[in-house]
Amino acid sequence: MINPTTLTVGVFIVSIVLVAGIILRPEMTVARTGKIMAFIALFLLPIIADSLGLSVHFEKSKQTSFCLSCHVMQPYGKTLYVDDKHYVAAAHFQNHRIPVEEACYTCHTDYVLYGGVRAKLRGIRHVYVQYLGHVPSPENIHLYSAYNNRECLHCHLGARSFEEEPTHSAMHDDLVANQISCLTGGCHDTVHNVGDLAKQKFWKEDH
Amino acid sequence: MSTQPKMQRRLRIAGMLTGLGLLVQLSTFFGIHASAFMAFAIIGVPLTFAGCTLFLYSLVSNPK
Repeated sequence: MINPTTLTVGVFIVSIVLVAGIILRPEMTVARTGKIMAFIALFLLPIIADSLGLSVHFEKSKQTSFCLSCHVMQPYGKTLYVDDKHYVAAAHFQNHRIPVEEACYTCHTDYVLYGGVRAKLRGIRHVYVQYLGHVPSPENIHLYSAYNNRECLHCHLGARSFEEEPTHSAMHDDLVANQISCLTGGCHDTVHNVGDLAKQKFWKEDH
Repeated sequence: MSTQPKMQRRLRIAGMLTGLGLLVQLSTFFGIHASAFMAFAIIGVPLTFAGCTLFLYSLVSNPK
């Protein structure tokens, strides 16, 4: 099966070659076949190429390396390597409980209809702020709204390790209804904690 | 001056805009970085859109 990026690059190359033909020999558009070629080269293929390109970029934007390409997010990336099992993000990342290549996206998307679209729109806003807005310090970055248990339960609900834990069983319905947050103090309240990074030991240093 | 050279000049400019936009977009696929997405969205897409629009305009207009 052809990789989507390869297919997209192929469409771009074909488009560029056809466009170059129009630039070099615009007189070919006098003939009927030339007119058809101009329509394909200057309208149809660029629209298809742009759509494919946008799709490829949206897929790439799910990758951990994309999120961490902004300087301000690098401390968050570093927290994934903290040598402390109480760090929720680190424990998930280091034990491959989430796909490591899409670590940020996996936990920060909304598992609802159009949740992926919403996550990508938030991502576009982040990119806008990174380049055209005021970038806050890493410690001052907060979620837009309180973290919803739904995102945790998307994987954990029904899992033996979750269901057989007495604390979870005692408040099962409240957790499912998001009445009690998984991140409540005393439970799983250490997630990224970038402010404490200087004091931490790391599992790996090559990040 | 006939209409054809003017039409062809517009097609050539449309081609240059579209081609430049496509080249910029193509270059953004070889890396995973927020700036690649920005170059795609802020430089590549508008150039391609401008080229397509000029092409359509050249079809509906009747250059003298």
